[in-house]
Amino acid sequence: MRVLLVEDDADMAENLRASLAADEHEVEIASDGEQGHSMAANGAYDVIVLDRMLPKKLGVSVVRELREQGVSTPVLILSALHDEDHRVEGLNAGANDYLGKPFSTRELLARVRALWHGRDRDVQTRLQVGDLEMDLLARTVKRGGKKLDLQPREFRLLEYLMRNSGQTVTRKMLLENVWDYHFDPQTNVIDVHISRLRSKIDRDFAQSLLHTVRGSGYRLEA
Amino acid sequence: MRPSLALLRTTTFRLALAQAGVVLLFVVALLVYVYFATIGQLVADSDILADQEYAALERAYAEGGIRRLNQEVVERSAGQGPLLYVLAEANGAVVTGDFPQLPAVPGEAVQRVDFSFETTDAEGAPQRSRARGQVGRLLNGPILLVARDLGDSAVITGRITRVLWTVAILGVMLSVASGLTASWFASRRVEALANTARDVMGGDLKRRAPVRGEGDEFDELAEAINAMLDRLERLMIVSRTAGDAIAHDLRSPLTRFRQKLEGALEAPEDSRNDREALRKALEEADNLLDMFAAVLKLARVESNPNWRLEPINATEVLQELVEFYEPAAEEQGRTLRGEIAPGLIVKGESGLFTQAVSNLVENALKYTPEGGHIDLSAVRRPDGRIEIAVLDDGPGIPPADRDRVLERFVRLESARSSPGAGLGLSLVAAVARLHKGGLHLRDGLSNGEGKGLGAALVLPAAAA
Repeated sequence: MRVLLVEDDADMAENLRASLAADEHEVEIASDGEQGHSMAANGAYDVIVLDRMLPKKLGVSVVRELREQGVSTPVLILSALHDEDHRVEGLNAGANDYLGKPFSTRELLARVRALWHGRDRDVQTRLQVGDLEMDLLARTVKRGGKKLDLQPREFRLLEYLMRNSGQTVTRKMLLENVWDYHFDPQTNVIDVHISRLRSKIDRDFAQSLLHTVRGSGYRLEA
Repeated sequence: MRPSLALLRTTTFRLALAQAGVVLLFVVALLVYVYFATIGQLVADSDILADQEYAALERAYAEGGIRRLNQEVVERSAGQGPLLYVLAEANGAVVTGDFPQLPAVPGEAVQRVDFSFETTDAEGAPQRSRARGQVGRLLNGPILLVARDLGDSAVITGRITRVLWTVAILGVMLSVASGLTASWFASRRVEALANTARDVMGGDLKRRAPVRGEGDEFDELAEAINAMLDRLERLMIVSRTAGDAIAHDLRSPLTRFRQKLEGALEAPEDSRNDREALRKALEEADNLLDMFAAVLKLARVESNPNWRLEPINATEVLQELVEFYEPAAEEQGRTLRGEIAPGLIVKGESGLFTQAVSNLVENALKYTPEGGHIDLSAVRRPDGRIEIAVLDDGPGIPPADRDRVLERFVRLESARSSPGAGLGLSLVAAVARLHKGGLHLRDGLSNGEGKGLGAALVLPAAAA
């Protein structure tokens, strides 16, 4: 996957480049907002990772202008200002995800992959992973043809996992996308929700679909 | 600046001067009025009277010559009327009349005269009097003077005038004196306030403006200034101790961090050992970053005045929070129950509101022993505000420590062993302040061993 990284801090850029490259991405780096904008507008990238505070042009302006020009490449904004207002401002400008500093490398890699894989999935009305099927219109879930009874929140949790199937999703991604919570709970709250969901979708079946990725999060995969 | 001069510059004194000016103007206007109402009228009347008499005598002279005139003057001046007469020869020698000599010398034409003369009062004492009338030369030379004695009326108006002038002078003096006194008092009170401000600027943060207890406007001002100083002092102490606390709290995790890295470097090369050391170092780094994030969040809540407060469906948010935490609580052997009244709308910042309540729930989860109970209740209070209470049956917090734990970085000794930076409750308290509400700690559920802890977040409701 080709990733454009727009980051003015050279050390930070090099660290991120190394991590992305280790995750088998091809990375190009722009060191200010204007350069980032022209590279994003002219090059073919799968994902753009954009720092919010950039010299010459702010990350938010870069996204807004790209969207106005019809560039729909998924954008992840990185920001030290992990404030509700700034997050909303970034998403309104057209960014697809927003990650506050400091973040772990695993968190960033998971989000970059999720952005790329998730870009066309919003229009789907049926999701399928192995023999697990979700009908988004009827709001029903079946595994191996057998109907599963899920609570509304469990349904949304599973929907998010299915949309990102094959990808690692972090606890933070689940918190933000399933619950819309933007703080870190200090207990194992997410893990318990996952284990309850797992008991519903995996318990009676030989093959497990919902896997724990140690140190990172979870992955739904057939 | 000399104090006496400073006094003359005060607003109060300027007002008093203006007041003195008004008094002066008023007295002058009164004088003018009294003059015209008394002397002016008297003079006009006596002029008419004297003119008529002069004309009558002129007619008598025309009809009966000098002899008739002489006779008329003698008769009239013997009468009791207020008019005075003098008839003199052309050279000025008095023939007959009320004066031994002509009090005024006539010109070519008949003219108005105004003169003072010696007379005697009822007891025969000499006194000056004033008269006004006409003097002129008749045909063939004799001189005739008719005047009216202004006597008592002039004396009275003179007295009135003197009284008015006295009043004017006294009024002006009083105004100036009262202005000086008032401005002296005001200056003293203002000076006391200014001294307080200067002392505080000089570093004496404990200094407060004197309040006399008279409930006047200066007391009101002093009380407002004192309240402001109290708040400033608290903020300064908070930021000062927060700085110390950050340094103190960062030292131990940073030291552990360093020890782990150092230990890994000095130990013989062993990749499993190294990885374990790195994993622990990473954990410490995460703790440090979490702490920084918490400090920054708290600072932002306390220092940013631009939070947008909007109506939040508190009932829904709270039910979702209970639903969010309930499985984890159950997993940990604790019971979390929600008793949330329907239709509660809070005016607030959604993210902060959610985080504040979640901090309370997590706090309760952390300090309640296994088998414990946690209740999250939300009601509309009789005063219209909304109270969200998280009650547990854990060990609780002794009443004496309850205020202290709301300050940042304060962790009771009993909590030292569990993770956390001591910022959870301070953040909730800061969020409460931001919403113009409050966080109150009290006893919780009484079915456990301890008294439990009840943390009540009281927030204003949004207008329906």
